[in-house]
Amino acid sequence: MTTVSCPSVRSVAEAEPPFAKVLVANRGEIAVRVMRTLAEMGIASVAVHHAVERSAAHVLLADEVVELEGATPIAAHLDGAQIVRAARAVGADAIHPGYGFLSENADFARAVGEAGLVFIGPRPETIRLMGDKISAIEFARANGVPVAPSVMPTGDLDAFLAEAEAIGFPLLIKAAAGGGGKGMNIVRSAADLAEAARLAASEASRYFGDGRIYAERWVERPRHIEVQILGDGRGGAIHLYERECSVQRRFQKIIEEAPAAALPIALRDEICAAAVRLARAADYANAGTVEFILDADGRFHFLEMNTRLQVEHPVTEMVTGIDLVRAQIEIAAGRDLRLAQDEISLRGHAVECRICAEDTENGYLPATGTIRLLEHPQGRNIRFENALSRGQKVTTDFDPMLAKLVVHGRDRGEAIDRAIEALGDLAILGVTVNVDHLARILGHEAFRAGALHTGFLVEHAATLAPPATSEAERDRALIAALLGFHEFRELMAGVSEPHASIGFWRN
Amino acid sequence: MGPTLILEGNAHTVEVLRWRPRLVVLVDGRRHEVTDVDDGRDGHRSAVVDGAVVEFMRAADDGRCHLRIDGRTFEIDRIDPRDAAGGDDHSHDVVRAPMPGVVVDVHRSAGEAVLRGEKIVTIESMKLQTALVAPRDGVVAALRRAAGDTFDKDAVIIELEPLSGEA
Repeated sequence: MTTVSCPSVRSVAEAEPPFAKVLVANRGEIAVRVMRTLAEMGIASVAVHHAVERSAAHVLLADEVVELEGATPIAAHLDGAQIVRAARAVGADAIHPGYGFLSENADFARAVGEAGLVFIGPRPETIRLMGDKISAIEFARANGVPVAPSVMPTGDLDAFLAEAEAIGFPLLIKAAAGGGGKGMNIVRSAADLAEAARLAASEASRYFGDGRIYAERWVERPRHIEVQILGDGRGGAIHLYERECSVQRRFQKIIEEAPAAALPIALRDEICAAAVRLARAADYANAGTVEFILDADGRFHFLEMNTRLQVEHPVTEMVTGIDLVRAQIEIAAGRDLRLAQDEISLRGHAVECRICAEDTENGYLPATGTIRLLEHPQGRNIRFENALSRGQKVTTDFDPMLAKLVVHGRDRGEAIDRAIEALGDLAILGVTVNVDHLARILGHEAFRAGALHTGFLVEHAATLAPPATSEAERDRALIAALLGFHEFRELMAGVSEPHASIGFWRN
Repeated sequence: MGPTLILEGNAHTVEVLRWRPRLVVLVDGRRHEVTDVDDGRDGHRSAVVDGAVVEFMRAADDGRCHLRIDGRTFEIDRIDPRDAAGGDDHSHDVVRAPMPGVVVDVHRSAGEAVLRGEKIVTIESMKLQTALVAPRDGVVAALRRAAGDTFDKDAVIIELEPLSGEA
C-alpha cells in the first residue's frame, strides 16, 4: 500500500520513453518509488523478489515479476548473476539498482553492461574509484577538493611533529593499525603534541604490535553536508544544491533536510563547486552524492562519494522540483542533461524523517513485530515513501528502515512544523518505531535553531528522552486501551438494563 | 474488581463503576466519566473523557493494546485476574530475548543446575553478542532455542524449574 503525493516533481513531456522495460533490482520503498517514475515515463517495470516477499508492495506494483532463488532474502537480492539472467529473460533494457544491495557494486555494473543491458548508474570504473576510500581521497586531493589534512606515519618523530603542528589544532593522533579507540588521543595545543604522540605510539605498539601513528585534523561538532550532483558522463556536471544529514545515530542518518540549516551562501557555493569539480574530473555519469564534513569554523573536507541514488534524495526533489530517478534514466539512456546550472533553483525547505523499527529508548535496538495498524498523513506537501501494509511482519531479514516521511514548507520553520504535525498523524502500531523520538528531535529548540552536528543526539540525549507521563495522560491511555478490549466491548454490549447501573467486570 | 492493565511496566486497576446511563470507570481509584465512546475497533478513534475529547490511534489484539496518544506510543497489556490470582512472581522462571537475533552458543543443557549470573546461552543481534544469564540459582528446565535458531524480541529462550516451597 502506497500513497504518495508528489506535486513538486517536474513532469517534462516526453517524446519517446528512453527504455521500454526496466528491471528494478531492489525492494521496499525505493523499488516502489523507482517504479512510480517508470510508470510516469511509460516504461514497464520488472520486480525481483525472494519467495518470502511474494505479496510485498513492490511485487504487487510491478508490471512483471521474477522470483529469485536464494538461501535468504538478502542473498537473493545480492545475487547479481541471477538478476542479470532475470533481466535478459524478461527482455528488460536496463536495470535500476536503487540504493544498497548491488547499487555500488562495480562488478555488477560491469556484468549488466556485458549482458547488453544498461546499468542506471555510473560507469563501473567510477564506482570502483569512489568505492575505495583511499583512491577516492587521493582523487579528490588531486582535483582540488579539500580533504582532511593528515600526516602519514614516518619513522622520524621530529618530522612527524613538525608536519602535524602545521595542520593546526585540535589534532587526532591515531594508531595506523588501530581500532576500538586504542591509541587515539586528541591534542589541543602544540605543547601537548610531543607527549601525546609518544604516548599514542607506545599504546599502539602495546595493543597492535605496530607503533606507527598518524595525525589528522580533529573536527569538533562536525556537520554532515552532502551535495547532489548529476553528470552526463562527458565531463558535464551540475549540482542540485546540498542536503544536511547531521542528525545521526549509530553513524546512520535519521533526519535529513534540504537546504542545509543556516549555511552561509558563500560557503554553500564553495562546497557545491567542489562537488561539481570532483564530478567533472571523474567524467561522472548519472546521479551521485559528494559527502563533506563541515567544521564549526566553516572548513570542510571530502568524506566520500556515493555513486547511486541516496535514501534522502526526496528532500532535493522537493526543493528543486526535479525528479532524480527520471534524470537518472535519461542520463543512462545517453541523453544530455536537460538543465543548465542556472536553471536550478531552490524553493522552500524540505525535511525527511526515517521511520525505523527500533527501540530508541533501548540503544536503538532493532524491533520486530507485526504491523497492526497503519495510518499515515496525506497532503500536497507530504510524501510518505513506504512499501508497508497492515498485517505485514517486520523481521530482521531486512534493514530496520520502514518508511520515510518527507515534508515541504515555505521555509525551514514551516517545514519543521508540518513535519511534526505529519508525524502526529502517523501511526505504525504493532512494532516499536521511532516516530515519537523523531517528533521530539524536530521540536527540540537546538534543532529549530539549526545548531546541528553529528553528535546532536548524544549531546541532547537527556532533553530528547521521553518526558515522564503524567497521571492524567496515563489514565487517558488506560481508558483508550480499555475501550478497545474485545471482552470489555462484549460486556458493554451485553449488559442488560436491570444490571446496567451495577458496576462490575468479571471474567 | 476489574482487570489489571500494565502500562510502562506498572500495574493499574481499572473498574467499571457504572455502565449506564453513562460509563463511569475507576482508574486506580480515580473516577472518570466516559461519553461518546468509540466503536471499539482499530484505527483513529476518539472518546470524551471527563468532558474533553481524547483522540488516539489504537490496535488491539488478545490481551495487548497498541496505542498512540498525546505524541506517545504505548503497549498496554491486560492481565487476566485468574493468572494474577496465584500471587507468585514467575518472572524469574524464564529468560526472554532482549532483542531479536540468533543463538550463537548454548553453554548449559536442560537438567543442569546454574547459579545466578551464570551464562546459559550466547545470542547475537546486529553483530553484538550478549550472554543470557541465569536470573537466579536454579535448574535449567528447558532451552527453547538451539544454536543457530532465530527469535524475536521477548521470546522465551530459557526456562528454569520453578522454585518450590520456600518461594
